[in-house]
Amino acid sequence: MIGEIAHFLALASALGLILVLIFNAFFYSAGRHANQDILSYKLFHQSCLLIFISFGLYIYLAITDDFSISYIANHSNSQLPIFYKITSIWSAHEGSMFLWIVFLTLWSTLFINSLSFQHQLKKGTMLMLTIIILGFLLFLLITSNPFERILPFGVLEGADINPVLQDPALAIHPPLLYLGYVGFVISFSFITAYLFHGDIHYPWEKDIKNWSLIAWIFLTVGITLGSWWAYYELGWGGYWFWDPVENVALMPWLAATAFMHSLFASSKSNILKTWTLFLGILIFALSLFGAFIVRSGIIDSVHSFANDPQRGLYLLGFSGFITLISLGIFAYRLPNMQSSKLIVTGSKESFLSMNNILMLTAIFSIFLGVTYPLILEFINGDKVSIGPPYYNTIFAPLILLTSIFIMISLEALWQRGMQARTLLVAVTPTFVISSLILYFIWYFVQIFSFLAYIGIYSGLLIIISYLLKGAISLKNKTYINKGSFIAHLGLGLLFFAVSMNSILSYQKNINLFLGEQQFINNSISEFKFLDLQNIKASNHDVVSAEIFIVHDGQPIFLNPEKRKYFARGQITSETAIHASILKDTYLTIGDQLDDGSWTFSLQINYFIKWIWLSSALMVIGILMTIFKKKIS
Amino acid sequence: MLQNRKKRLQKFFIIILLSALGTSLVLFSLNSKLDLFYSPSEMLAADIKPGYRIKLGGMVEIGSIQREGTTIFFVVTDFEAKVPVSFEGVAPDLFKENSGVVALGYYSDGLFVAEQIFAKHDENYMPPELARQEPK
Repeated sequence: MIGEIAHFLALASALGLILVLIFNAFFYSAGRHANQDILSYKLFHQSCLLIFISFGLYIYLAITDDFSISYIANHSNSQLPIFYKITSIWSAHEGSMFLWIVFLTLWSTLFINSLSFQHQLKKGTMLMLTIIILGFLLFLLITSNPFERILPFGVLEGADINPVLQDPALAIHPPLLYLGYVGFVISFSFITAYLFHGDIHYPWEKDIKNWSLIAWIFLTVGITLGSWWAYYELGWGGYWFWDPVENVALMPWLAATAFMHSLFASSKSNILKTWTLFLGILIFALSLFGAFIVRSGIIDSVHSFANDPQRGLYLLGFSGFITLISLGIFAYRLPNMQSSKLIVTGSKESFLSMNNILMLTAIFSIFLGVTYPLILEFINGDKVSIGPPYYNTIFAPLILLTSIFIMISLEALWQRGMQARTLLVAVTPTFVISSLILYFIWYFVQIFSFLAYIGIYSGLLIIISYLLKGAISLKNKTYINKGSFIAHLGLGLLFFAVSMNSILSYQKNINLFLGEQQFINNSISEFKFLDLQNIKASNHDVVSAEIFIVHDGQPIFLNPEKRKYFARGQITSETAIHASILKDTYLTIGDQLDDGSWTFSLQINYFIKWIWLSSALMVIGILMTIFKKKIS
Repeated sequence: MLQNRKKRLQKFFIIILLSALGTSLVLFSLNSKLDLFYSPSEMLAADIKPGYRIKLGGMVEIGSIQREGTTIFFVVTDFEAKVPVSFEGVAPDLFKENSGVVALGYYSDGLFVAEQIFAKHDENYMPPELARQEPK
């Protein structure tokens, strides 16, 4: 019964949104008509509310184990803790699409509510948002209905959530990522409304700046959490695999980062206006492209949901439709939009726009990497995959150039060209110090990898230039943008940590009997297999090994596990990690051989913690920027 | 006026040239970093050179998994041809007999030496490449 109510509410909401559109189709005019507008805003907000209630009821259904709902029966289980019963909703296509729409609606209703009634773009934005929500709501209800019943009788027990997904980080990773993805629907719709309205002198940046920054934070945290989960749960020791689904999350992130930067320039001094508008449209278009890639099953990936051409076609069609509307209006207005001021060579914004171009290049390269296998298979039937080597080669030079521009732009001024010579003199100390540090790293490590050293050097350039700038401003008590300072330190640290990780980390495979011990290398002088225990947990069996390691003279006890889940018979490995400041000792247990010995995979991963830290720094930096804006 | 146009044309050509250069660099890098996907029968027919990295996908033959120390030996089959594979390390959790597997590595002298093996993420999921070659 409650399932039907929830289904009905979702349908009613779609109807409400259709009414908003029909109503405005008859009565729309660019001017403001109090009564009609009040009515359509009310209808819009109520329709949004219905979606929230419907989702609330759906959560209730999941908690109370209503296995007559086909989706819940397939992805939940009565033995699960309540937390995972709720998160099982977004463990597969239908439910996660529902969540996606809920967030879309949430952002939309909050944003429309925040605009004053007199705001000239309120109605246009609302109409664009209505079209987008409606399109996805219909997609959900027609092609992937989460409310579908198993008729005439439901099953007694659910099939359980995939055990790999029973993890707190993964439970909150999709919601945060989705909040980020769909958060950019605001800039997308607002920019479309602004372009449609045609009043090009309206300062639109201020209305969506903080919204975009918040969406960026969600996107960043979401991506980081997914990466963190992959690191400790999958047991491969990697944190980023250049998997198509990771790539489609990285593209909007890059576009959003470029957007954020040019938004600052655009709102400050009326430059880069068309760039900013274009990027604002691009972010959401890339989010939609991501949704298409993940949900159509067109690309083989560990993340992709089940294959369904109908869904893919609908998503591609609808995403293409709204992107074309937006880009079409953009192209139509472009001739009137010439920025009032030209970019001065050697000014801060000139370097900023260089980096924007680099970020677009990065996006294009990833896009090519994602779609190239599809194109090639279509042309001559070859099945190919593109792995990390491609992305590493492409990104190394881009990162180096980006870092150099960041370093120079730190010395440059807004709207004032500076002599190349002055700038060069200003950045010389950074170049020298970074080169010295790089030499010391090489001296101590004695491993050489061209690409990794480019990455390390890039990271150093950013870190050193900001630290020098910080020290000088501290001494002279001059102004420094603290948010930008911390965020860029984070970026430098990210380049540095990722590259250091790639040259220093290594793996050893070990084969041992119970009670045996082995010498691994000079750093790991002892590896002893102490104990093996069989434990029964609520919904799985556990084989837990106890290993004693002496790592650089420090004794460490590690307990890697293998779990067998009852409901699906699936086996998962639980990695044991001992983290110190510089490196993680990362151990997974493999299989038992016929002679009774066990295999282990021991990995020493360097600078992993620093990668998470760098992401945290970037988020803190942006938070400070939002906070600062609020005060002044 | 004419001067202006000439300048514009120059700019235009420079941009075109640069983007063509960039794209061809990217494509060049793409081509040397592709991993072609083969089924066992396709791979045996294709005459793969040693030192050329490829992806081999198929089913793990029943009863073929053998472990020696930290090395795993198994046979990948597409029910037409068979290829013996060796892998050094700990296999993914979902690696098992009569189940789909994709190995990334090099083929020479009748043995496929895998650098990495991928098994399916969940037991209902099958890579499209494998689903296509599944016997009806």
